Amino acid sequence: MTCDEVRQHLLDYQRGRSRLETQQAVRAHLDGCAGCTRADTVEQELTRLLEQRLPQHPASLALKRRLAARWWEPPAPRSWWSRRRASLSPVLAAAAVVLVAAPVVYYERAASRAAREQTAMVAEAVTDHLRLLASPRPLDVESGGLHQVKPWFAGRLDFAPVVTFEGDVDFPLKGGSVGYFRDRKAAVFVYARRLHPISLLVFRADGLSWPSRSLTRVNDVEASVAAERGFNVIVWRRGELGYALVSDVDAGELKAFAARLTPAP
Amino acid sequence: MSVLADQALAYVDALHNLARYLTGNGTDAEDLVQETYARALRAEHQFTPGTNLKAWLFRILRNTFLSSYRRQRNDPTVGGLDTVGAQPEGLGTSDWLLGDIELDRLRKVVADEIEAALMTLSEESRTVILLDLEGLTEVEVADVVGCAVGTVKSRLARARAALRHKLKDYAR
Repeated sequence: MTCDEVRQHLLDYQRGRSRLETQQAVRAHLDGCAGCTRADTVEQELTRLLEQRLPQHPASLALKRRLAARWWEPPAPRSWWSRRRASLSPVLAAAAVVLVAAPVVYYERAASRAAREQTAMVAEAVTDHLRLLASPRPLDVESGGLHQVKPWFAGRLDFAPVVTFEGDVDFPLKGGSVGYFRDRKAAVFVYARRLHPISLLVFRADGLSWPSRSLTRVNDVEASVAAERGFNVIVWRRGELGYALVSDVDAGELKAFAARLTPAP
Repeated sequence: MSVLADQALAYVDALHNLARYLTGNGTDAEDLVQETYARALRAEHQFTPGTNLKAWLFRILRNTFLSSYRRQRNDPTVGGLDTVGAQPEGLGTSDWLLGDIELDRLRKVVADEIEAALMTLSEESRTVILLDLEGLTEVEVADVVGCAVGTVKSRLARARAALRHKLKDYAR
């Protein structure tokens, strides 16, 4: 290989993208050519500079939240009616579809909307829980009891989180932090079950689409129970506040914990 | 959220980084990334499962940036994105023989200087350098910028040579 040929292959050589025989030829040339060895060193130095010193500009948390909120609300799928309208004659459409299919369409759309609402809530809760677990400092305030954690939120939120369960031997309260649920701030209470963290997110409920079907009664609230990515999730609304409970403990234990949070009146 | 959407959001930092280096400022970069995701969402059915999602998103982002640039260039009331204009980068392989002093200077370049030097290059050069840094193969880079693989190879070599040349000026 000539020097010009070697230099054309240098980047591929450094990234291991060349064929074996080309790699060997370049290596053999470099062993005996000071000029190409220097060129090789310079290219490596430039790569190192770019990889280690070029400033990186990651997306802001605000942008990530906006994108996530937007993607959680995909455009509604085309309705049963609009998909089939063209294939039906006007006479049949006027008589049969309205009388026979309309209730079915209504039911399907309502069920689909309810499923989307529940999926969005659950996905957000799991993502928030994962974000907390991945944080180098997941707790802004370590627990000295609920009476220490709750006052800590004062001034940090635009609402007062209503949580009365102080933790017990089975589910001790570990602490709290301020997080986000969709586009709003959330109080995050972290409890534990053995070594499993449990996140309780409390946030303003207004403006959110709440699941209205397939609900499970937990004491005096109707909750949506689901599982996603290996986590169990329970979401419910009580008055002006929304609650999302997330953990990898099994569903039965999480329901037992939810029952402690929603004591019967 | 669809599986694709979930996966796509994992690349937001990489997309924003490229957007920042294309537009030259944070506000335009955020707008560009948002528009990229909006377009990706609309074109979700066009994505071929099993292919590189990251490269697909990069392609949408770059096309969005270029179409925005062309629109602004045709609008006499807007100055246009001055980060696109090509700089003279016609350095040949004769620029290879940096002496040890130059190499030593190169090693002392700081972050701000390398960013400033990169921003003096053309959009095309910045793009291939950054996509290469992101670990895209030459085939994937070719798909993003819409040219042949051989062209990517030569563009990348020219872009890096031009960057080294600029860095020599900074590292004195």
